[in-house]
Amino acid sequence: MNSINRNNGESNNGKSSIFDGLKQDLDLYFLGLSRLGSSKALTDKEEDEEEAPKELNTINSSGGFLVVAPDKLSVKYTSVNLHGHDVGVVQANKPAPVKRLLYYFEIYVKDAGAKGQIAIGFTNEGFKMRRQPGWEVNSCGYHGDDGLLYRGQGKGDAFGPTYTKGDMVGGGINYASQEFFFTKNGAIVGTVCKEKEMKGRLFPTIAVHSQNEEVHVNFGQKKFAFDLKEYEAQERLKQQMTIEKISLPPNISYGLVRSYLLHYGYEDTLNSFDLASKSTIPPIYIAQENGFDEQDIVYALNQRKTLRQLIRNGEIDAAISKLHNWYPQIVQDDKSATCFLLHCQKFIELVRVGALEEAVKYGRIELAKFFGLAGFDDLVQDCVALLAYERPQESSVGYLLEESQRDVVADTVNAMILSTNPNMKDMKGCLQSYLERLLRQLTACSLERRSANGDQGEAFHLHQVLTIGRDMKC
Amino acid sequence: MMPLFWIVSRQLAEIAEQMATSKKVITREEWEKRLNDVKIRKEDMNKLVMNFLVTEGYVEVAEKFRMESGTQPDIDLATITDRMAVKKAVQCGNVEDAIEKVNDLNPEILDTNPQIFFHLQQQRLIELIRNGKVEEALEFAQEELAPRGEENQSFLEELERTVSLLAFEDVSNCPVGELLDMSQRLKTASEVNAAILTSQSHEKDPKLPSLLKMLIWAQNQLDEKAAYPRINDLLNATLEDPAV
Repeated sequence: MNSINRNNGESNNGKSSIFDGLKQDLDLYFLGLSRLGSSKALTDKEEDEEEAPKELNTINSSGGFLVVAPDKLSVKYTSVNLHGHDVGVVQANKPAPVKRLLYYFEIYVKDAGAKGQIAIGFTNEGFKMRRQPGWEVNSCGYHGDDGLLYRGQGKGDAFGPTYTKGDMVGGGINYASQEFFFTKNGAIVGTVCKEKEMKGRLFPTIAVHSQNEEVHVNFGQKKFAFDLKEYEAQERLKQQMTIEKISLPPNISYGLVRSYLLHYGYEDTLNSFDLASKSTIPPIYIAQENGFDEQDIVYALNQRKTLRQLIRNGEIDAAISKLHNWYPQIVQDDKSATCFLLHCQKFIELVRVGALEEAVKYGRIELAKFFGLAGFDDLVQDCVALLAYERPQESSVGYLLEESQRDVVADTVNAMILSTNPNMKDMKGCLQSYLERLLRQLTACSLERRSANGDQGEAFHLHQVLTIGRDMKC
Repeated sequence: MMPLFWIVSRQLAEIAEQMATSKKVITREEWEKRLNDVKIRKEDMNKLVMNFLVTEGYVEVAEKFRMESGTQPDIDLATITDRMAVKKAVQCGNVEDAIEKVNDLNPEILDTNPQIFFHLQQQRLIELIRNGKVEEALEFAQEELAPRGEENQSFLEELERTVSLLAFEDVSNCPVGELLDMSQRLKTASEVNAAILTSQSHEKDPKLPSLLKMLIWAQNQLDEKAAYPRINDLLNATLEDPAV
């Protein structure tokens, strides 16, 4: 009369990992990490793959009044204008991209013609192409003949200087401040609020209206007269200054760095860090009472460090051996992502030293069974592909030979060891350091905020923040 | 007992208000999914940590981290040791020593930062006063600091403040007593540290604290548009369910 064992029967020497029921999710998590370095991951890196305007749209321009040059970068008014409905208007071939801080383009007035009635601005898709930008709703235009800014009605507002032959005039959108801005010959003329009515995609627009007016347009193919990068940096700085004023709990950076080191098992660094914090002036003591429960992460610190070292040195056999000794439950299931990644890495190490025959043998024994398995398949194929190249490090699967790939395996083993801690309450604690969770939250909030703003503006992206240096996005 | 009409109309008013101010609600489940979709590279997090260690001047820690993680420091670690020596000298009140070291590192730093040079000289004066060397202090103030004060109004004011320390028997209770505080040394040390970093074309602040502030800011901004799981306790990074 034995009660039926309700567990899924996985015997882990009595130490059941909290992962028993979540095995599949975990596998996918680790496998996902292992492919972050591949080129495919890089192409879907950011939604910044918006197409930017490159030339003028000859299809919907008000033909009959104007002529667009073959290179689609300049326009001339050929007619004689008689009234307000024979404006020669041209839009760019694509709308202004929105997933960035600013968009900008410039025109050069080659010839002011009879009356200098040139305009630069933005219009939406259904714009009446015989009217000056700004004269109709959902459009705005800075006009050269009177220097006024028109925003959806026949009467313009005082805005800036007039402009004529030889002038470089630019128009832009600032998504952070939701404004249009215009420049003349490299200097800002002014900004104006981009009202909510101007929704939807906006097309950079130019217009000519009297005989022989000729305008050339620059969508960024040539250097702008206006220092856009500097302006962008200034705008970012404004936002940064607001953010800098926010106060943080004391020593929180130290606390997060410390817990990061603990999480990943960087024992030597941690010890050195503790020493350094104490000898700082003033000494830094990280609050432990409300802080993280150190017991959870000091767990198996030395073993995790040892294993990481072995894996980072490519000594996979030694690592597997140690795991069998210390944590057999982790390497017990040969079909788990952990074992899989270890086997892949061993394969990679064999390729690295040129032992290709041995690699093939190893692959047949340990990796073949993963072909066709969802989630595992991609990585197996990439690994095997290494064999095809004389210089695999230069191939599309070269990422496998990088140090970062070893690090992924080390991180996986690290997480699995943490999972054997009977005190560990939730999965996330094993997988992500506090620092990582905060960074994810920051990214998710930033994306949602942008989405709520009609997908306009920049979103936070850690990789870009680090590569660009002092420019910070949010 | 309220007539039914009033009860209903009050309920309708409440609903109307909720709808007017209603924000998009994102459930915990949905939000967790989004969090999981974020792709963060380990190397980038390592870089962030290394940047912190290096900017704060923890040379040995940075070296250990380089060995254990394979992350390259973004500046030459040797320059950190020099910079830290300067910082320490100021923190300990050895201003002359600090000035010498800064000039050894890069003589242009003090040349191009008159304010920092003045603050260092001011600190020197403070130390002389602290050690009871009244005559020496006055001589120093008159010969070295007064000429700077003549060039610059705010320097002059600072100089006068500092000299006024001498007027008090019990310096710990006087209005300018804070000049004798450790915090004054730390402030100057920090200034010098930043100037050195800038001269080495390195950002003077670590990125990590700015990112944390950005998180707080981003959440505050998003609060206006949506109800979603927030992280209020940064140190524990715990998600709290949206208040519905």
